[in-house]
Amino acid sequence: MIEFRNVSRRYGKRTAVADLTLTAPGGEVFAYLGPNGAGKTTTIKMLVGLLQPHAGGISIGGVDVRKQPREACRLLGYVPDQPFLYDKLSARETLQFVAGMYGMGQKEAADAIERQIATFELGGFCDRLSEGYSHGMKQRVVFASALVHNPRVVVVDEPMVGLDPRSMRLVKDLLRRFADEGGAVFMSTHTLSVADEIADRIGVLSQGRLLFCGAVGELRERLAERDGSLERLFLKLTEEMDDDAATAEALAGPALAGRTAAAAVGAGQEMGDA
Amino acid sequence: MSASTSQCRDAPRSATVLRGGAKVARREQAMFWWLRNRLVWRMVAEWATSSRLRMSILVGLSLLFWLGLFAVFHESFVLLANSVSHEPTRAMVAHKIFNIFFFALLIMLAVSSGIIMYSALFRSDEVRFLLTQPISVRRIVSHKFQEAVAFSAWGFLLMGSPMLIAYGMSVDAPLYFYAMLVPMLVSFVVIPAACGGLACMGVIYVAPRFRLRLIATLVAALVAAGLYLGLRLFVMVQENLQGAAWLSEMMGRMEFAEQRLLPSWWLSSGLLQAAHNEPASAGDQPWRDSVMFLGLLVSNAMMATMVLVEIGHRALRPCYSRLQGMGGSNRRARSSVLDRLVRLLAWPLPPATRLLIEKDVRLFRRDPVQWSQFAIFFGLLALYFINIRRFQYDDGMLLRWMNMIGFLNLAVVGLILSTFTTRFIFPMISLEGRRFWILGTLPIHRETILWSKFWFAGLGSAPPCAALIFISDWMLGIVATTPVMALIHQVTCWSLCLGLAGIAVGLGARLPDMRQNSPARIAAGYGGTLNLVLSGIFIVLTVLMTAAPSYFVLEARDLAGAHRYLADTPATHFLLGSNWALAAGVAATVLLGAVATIVPLNIGIRAFRRLEF
Repeated sequence: MIEFRNVSRRYGKRTAVADLTLTAPGGEVFAYLGPNGAGKTTTIKMLVGLLQPHAGGISIGGVDVRKQPREACRLLGYVPDQPFLYDKLSARETLQFVAGMYGMGQKEAADAIERQIATFELGGFCDRLSEGYSHGMKQRVVFASALVHNPRVVVVDEPMVGLDPRSMRLVKDLLRRFADEGGAVFMSTHTLSVADEIADRIGVLSQGRLLFCGAVGELRERLAERDGSLERLFLKLTEEMDDDAATAEALAGPALAGRTAAAAVGAGQEMGDA
Repeated sequence: MSASTSQCRDAPRSATVLRGGAKVARREQAMFWWLRNRLVWRMVAEWATSSRLRMSILVGLSLLFWLGLFAVFHESFVLLANSVSHEPTRAMVAHKIFNIFFFALLIMLAVSSGIIMYSALFRSDEVRFLLTQPISVRRIVSHKFQEAVAFSAWGFLLMGSPMLIAYGMSVDAPLYFYAMLVPMLVSFVVIPAACGGLACMGVIYVAPRFRLRLIATLVAALVAAGLYLGLRLFVMVQENLQGAAWLSEMMGRMEFAEQRLLPSWWLSSGLLQAAHNEPASAGDQPWRDSVMFLGLLVSNAMMATMVLVEIGHRALRPCYSRLQGMGGSNRRARSSVLDRLVRLLAWPLPPATRLLIEKDVRLFRRDPVQWSQFAIFFGLLALYFINIRRFQYDDGMLLRWMNMIGFLNLAVVGLILSTFTTRFIFPMISLEGRRFWILGTLPIHRETILWSKFWFAGLGSAPPCAALIFISDWMLGIVATTPVMALIHQVTCWSLCLGLAGIAVGLGARLPDMRQNSPARIAAGYGGTLNLVLSGIFIVLTVLMTAAPSYFVLEARDLAGAHRYLADTPATHFLLGSNWALAAGVAATVLLGAVATIVPLNIGIRAFRRLEF
């Protein structure tokens, strides 16, 4: 459903994402993990069409995001890390606007909106203006608007930020069910417990390169940490990457360090491909 | 929940995807129309219910401003009609004045719209959201362009309409002149706004990394060119004021704005044709010509909009991506000589105040938006003051006028400073509120924060302003001929600077807007507007209180008694032309400055103590 083909993206001289090749099929929750500045948000922005890759291509359901951004948008629902809502619209009006933009008929939109209001428990405040919402309330409205048009792919950047425990449970169940019903979920998160709980596969990104791509169980096997938590595995994997780069830099300067890091990445990618 | 998502999934997908470009475009148009209506009416309803007083003040002040402009323009056009009896010559003069006015507005609108479009398209959360929706990019560009035009047009209409209505009344224009005003002005605004939008996208497409420098250079170049042309118009005229030769030379110097390819020329020609009550000759049909100019403006406005939207359709996503790709700043935080200088100069202040001032100076010097605007405007003023020598002041009669020009320069410095205090000082407390977890948890009194802002603004602005006024007085010959007047200018300048700082800091604490994180939006709100208006009133009063007695003192000295205008009573003698009057004026200015500093600060401190974050 989601496909990255040798995607690279730079910010000036710094490479944010390097040669990323990845697929996330329907029926799967894919958790995208990595330390701060690893390139997760860049990847997501490229996926939703806000950034254009400098190399490679991205497609959603076979639609090229760069060549047909509008068609690609129709297939996905996007929940950004910083939710945007029109202050002077209510949640219901926001959902009406979004449903209208997706070309939903009046009856169809009204039904879908009511379902989302019920699902995300927006009933208590959905007719109040958004300017008075807390971060968590806004996040729930954004989730509802991302799902109101019945997308095939949901892209979520940091889904749990600002949500209370009940809302977190709600979102986790929803994403899991969405995938079980055939949709694809691409989720970036620092909350490793969430990834551990609902993700079918994880991708670990560091310094713009994909270190690992596969099931958590596979990562345990690869790192010989049979009982290790995802947090422990994640730290071990990313520290190895940092150590390789630091050692290489100490021995032979930055040029060689880059090559050694790339070698480590290569190994990581092999692991992922395996 | 399972059932609900399942229902969503089972819904026929084809129903959600409308086919047919025209149908989709109509749907989008309807949705955006709905969106805009909702947002505007909600805002109006909110103002009407919760901010009635604020709205009344704003509307009242705008009306007052409009009426003031109307009165000035009406009197000017009546004067013109009385001074120039030959109708074609009068029309020619009016045409030249309109050309200059609309040409200047054309440039200003292009620049301001370019900046507004940059912020609306590339710095807005709304566009980030809309780009992830299945919406035509044309629609997004068009939506934001309409906003930019609305932003630009209201100021233009506020300034342009009193002038044009006054002109229409002074020449007894037919009714269709007034009917054509709005379509002509609106279509005129669209053309430079579209050009500004295109230039904005061009800069970001070609050189995203240097966009700010390019824009700043462009603005500085335009301001410099405007200043040069203004000086050329009014300063270097060698002939006697208002003589025939002077008029002829002035007319000649206005010709640069008469390019027939400029929309400003179309607008001024169209309006003047529409204002003609009777045909000048048998074949002359003014209404037909005015309609032709209206058509020219409307068609060009439509064309410019279409070009902008089409180019935006192709360029918005790549431009947005390029701009996002610039990455974050990697600047290292370095200490500077300025920091050490501030530390040194602020040593008499309490340590906490000193530290807060140092922090604000650091934020100021590291924010190019702040210091570049300050540098550009004050640099240009310095340029103007240095070149002011070109005025003829050898004539003894003009000496007191030189003093008046000195006071006018003081008022200009004050007015420019008031825009800075409104834009940068007034929002400081509101912005500080957002990071109040730092300051609010420190073991300091809250008023220390306000005092530090006041000293930062007052002591930061007074020395450069005083230096500018000194340059102005020096170049005008005031320092050499009447040093007392130069001293009075300095006292008035310091009083102005401290008063403006007090008003901005006090009102900023009394009327904070904690929900906004953009200083520009905070400044554009009710509190910012009130700050600007009060600052303007304060400046006018301050300057008048010293300028009027100064003028009469010099007049009395030159002409042995300015009180000849009035009955020669002790009261008029005291009021007009005595040193006592001058001393009283200076004392009143200092007192007013103290009141403008202390009262708002006091109100601000009391409000700030009670403020909950």
